[in-house]
Amino acid sequence: MEFSLLYGLMLLLFATGLLITPFLGEKLKVANVFAHGIAILGSLAAVLCASFVFVNGAQAMKLPFQLTYMAFSVRVDTLSAYFLGIIGLVAAAASMYAIAYGKEYFKQRFILMAELYLAFILSMLLVVTVNHVFMFLVVWEVMSVTSFLLVGQENSQASTKAAYLYLVMTHVGTAFIMTAFLLLANSSGSMEFTALRVLGANEWTRNIVFLCSFIGFGMKAGIIPLHVWLPKAHPAAPTHVSALMSGVMLKTAIYGMARFYLEFLGIGPAWWGGMILLFAAISAVLGVLYAVVEHDIKSLLAYSSVENIGLILLGVGAGMVFMSSGLPVLAGLAWAAAFFHVFNHAVFKALLFFGAGAVVHATHTRDMEHHGGLIKVMPYTSVFFLIGSAAIAALPPFNGFVSEWLLFQSLFALPMALGGIGGKLVGAILISLLGLTGALAAACFVKAYGIMFLAKSRSALTEKAVEVPGLMLVPMGFMALLCLVLGVTAPKIMVLLHQVLVAFFPEGAIDGFASPQWFILGTAAQASGGLSLPVLGLVFVAGIIMAIIFYLYKGAGKTHVGETWTCGIIPNARMEYTATGFSGPIRRAFGKILRPRTMTVINANTSPYSGRRIVYEVHISHVVDELVYQPLNRYIVRLSQFMKEIQTGSVQLYIGYIMAVTVAVLIWSTRW
Amino acid sequence: MFLDNIMVLFVKALFLTVMAPLVAGLIKKCKAILQNRRGPGVFQLYFDIAKWLSKDSVISPTTSWIFKVAPFIYFACAVGAAGLSPLILFTGITVWPADLFMVLYLFVLSRFSLALASLDAGSAFGGMGGSREMYIAALVEPALLLTMLTVAFKAHSTNIMDMTVSVAGGAGGLSVIFAAAAFFIILLAETGRIPVDNPDTHLELTMVHEGMILEYSGRRLGLIVWASAIKQLVLIVIFSTLFLPWTPAIGGGASQIAWFVGKILLTAGGLALSETLANKMRLFKVPGFLAVAGLLALLAIVAGVD
Repeated sequence: MEFSLLYGLMLLLFATGLLITPFLGEKLKVANVFAHGIAILGSLAAVLCASFVFVNGAQAMKLPFQLTYMAFSVRVDTLSAYFLGIIGLVAAAASMYAIAYGKEYFKQRFILMAELYLAFILSMLLVVTVNHVFMFLVVWEVMSVTSFLLVGQENSQASTKAAYLYLVMTHVGTAFIMTAFLLLANSSGSMEFTALRVLGANEWTRNIVFLCSFIGFGMKAGIIPLHVWLPKAHPAAPTHVSALMSGVMLKTAIYGMARFYLEFLGIGPAWWGGMILLFAAISAVLGVLYAVVEHDIKSLLAYSSVENIGLILLGVGAGMVFMSSGLPVLAGLAWAAAFFHVFNHAVFKALLFFGAGAVVHATHTRDMEHHGGLIKVMPYTSVFFLIGSAAIAALPPFNGFVSEWLLFQSLFALPMALGGIGGKLVGAILISLLGLTGALAAACFVKAYGIMFLAKSRSALTEKAVEVPGLMLVPMGFMALLCLVLGVTAPKIMVLLHQVLVAFFPEGAIDGFASPQWFILGTAAQASGGLSLPVLGLVFVAGIIMAIIFYLYKGAGKTHVGETWTCGIIPNARMEYTATGFSGPIRRAFGKILRPRTMTVINANTSPYSGRRIVYEVHISHVVDELVYQPLNRYIVRLSQFMKEIQTGSVQLYIGYIMAVTVAVLIWSTRW
Repeated sequence: MFLDNIMVLFVKALFLTVMAPLVAGLIKKCKAILQNRRGPGVFQLYFDIAKWLSKDSVISPTTSWIFKVAPFIYFACAVGAAGLSPLILFTGITVWPADLFMVLYLFVLSRFSLALASLDAGSAFGGMGGSREMYIAALVEPALLLTMLTVAFKAHSTNIMDMTVSVAGGAGGLSVIFAAAAFFIILLAETGRIPVDNPDTHLELTMVHEGMILEYSGRRLGLIVWASAIKQLVLIVIFSTLFLPWTPAIGGGASQIAWFVGKILLTAGGLALSETLANKMRLFKVPGFLAVAGLLALLAIVAGVD
């Protein structure tokens, strides 16, 4: 079997889809099945490509068509293959989901959406496999533009605004990435990834390349303070696209960073890693705080993506600090934690977006305050969403727990790299912030699940809800299963990660996690033991058995039905806790950061004795907006005001400018 | 070897499960004596649990399977944590797959399941309890981790057995005193005691844990109460093993057992005393209280640098 054959098959499938779908114009149902079916096959071909590389080692090839400055060369090493596999897996699930979900868009330029969707997946698959700077920038741009158009798909005022914000931000990011790449290409004299190195370049170039790549990819990844587009753009897109954007598009930025920091830039000074750690911690904590107080389910998930990117970057940052301190063993552990979390987040975030989409599909609202009681009408969706929530809250035995544990371990070893009291304090504070993030994420998803699925329905919209069709349930079920499998078989995933990372580390440095015992996930940092999910499972099951024995000791007993106790009043849905109410204490405790503004409107015309009509609203002010973007905005407006006075539009004045400049240049050039 | 480990896990889990109501009863008795009351006997909780475990349940039609399953998960988490907890009485074991984060995340899982169940019945009391529980948990978690790190940094491991070995027999320095004070505050918060929560109240405005389980009755209530007692004992065991390290050495000899039991009793007495002396704190004063624990832990880390 040839690699080029598989890769070619993938390209061919997507090309077929892109070319034929427009001709299915009127037959929307056929187009729907065809386009998304092709997307499933193409994505599966990508997964096959990835597995091929993991079995047979890195592959490289050049496609026959060449342009000047633009060689279409492809190289898939294990790092590319890892991301390729993740994208393929999630995209296949999302495409299956889209067959059922896409029907909602039949009246809204459906063919265009399907085309863009195919191009979007293809561009992501290409981003992680191309081997040439120009080619990378082109597909990166295609990815940005197609996702921009998909964000604007619903054509509402909010989604258009979100889309344009996204377009501007992502292009600023691309400018930084371009700068980083061109500086690299300049110093290494080649445009091929395999030759891009800055070994000979001076410190300044290296630092500038680092900063540009961090800002550029950070913009795409949505680290705070560059995240403002993310929580607006991700929820605005159709759900299967949101799942892909949050689940895997953000990861292409992590791929870019990994290429730069593991391969191109080599080992850098410790402040590189330190800076990443700082922004990672800010993103994690602020991201989850905004998620907790959100009550639009898709925005909540988008903010939670900011948090998870923060977690991934904590691993990346720690890995870089360890590398600069000459501790490759620990660096391997930290990078493995980051990459493990990349996979995990892709899986559970896609699952949660699918679940949220199913709820929106059934109830036609994204506002949690209108949901409630869905567990009774959507039994399958509710189970899958619960698994996703448990995984993202890092509960054992799901996958989120394992990667968070690895992160804890890498941060725990930070004092070894930094040394002294300072090192211990930095390690301790980062770990406690990670703990805070975890606890807030748990609160956030208790809220999301509890308010959406439990208790009584809060509005007429949810009362009519029914379970979504099987085509939407199957991808959710598959992702939920993956959450469990990735958690339980963690030592096996570590073997895979060893393959991904081994090329970037000194000989034998990270062999520690390549040959684990099947039941225990050890780290080199630890003298003994490690994480053992089977043992945990064993004691847990013992506990369950004990509970059942005690429960049944005196027979099963009878269960009587009795209404919920509400002090003697007949309970109704208005007595239930709301999402806003649930997050109230957290909103207040972190008020310095969230700065909630509450507005209570009391209708004075209603009787003060028998229930006044009160409207209560809470708005969260975003610190970053107020500190960074609003001043920036004001500055730009002021600058353009000033420019307006110079740019009057009068031709004579412009000639005058030209004259003045010419005279100045003449004087300057003849002053010797 | 591996099987030995597993056996020890089960023995510990069973031992703490059986002893937990007794310790809870002791604390209650101590408190009663300190408050000039006679109070129920120390075995009263056993009778209560036995009574609940033989009673029928009343379940609201609003609830779903989450409400029915949650007590079992809550109980299993407590038993699991008991199995992984540090008991100095068992030694000679090298491979010990009991990691600190496994215990902590079992607590998170138990809290997650009970908080979901609290929302399930659709009552405002349950929601209030769940909301406050998650809020307090978010504040406790960073402080708890910092406190645990004071010991883990010394042991260079987050393995509970390594941590136990590293503190056993060691003299108490300034670092240990700070860490012990910090963990005692965490202990008050995590076991739902005054000043953070009040285990004896059913007053709507003050209850947290009691609010969450308000809808439970019969066998499930019995499981929850028992599990809470186990969780409390596990935390007391962690406190007395890792943060009161004045033990001759680890092992199962008579003197070790005496020291161990003595420290457990001391901690129980301390809890009763602090509950008698303190007042319930306003919910939004709790962050400051727990920040004290976090700062003490940071001081302990600084003081413990060698």
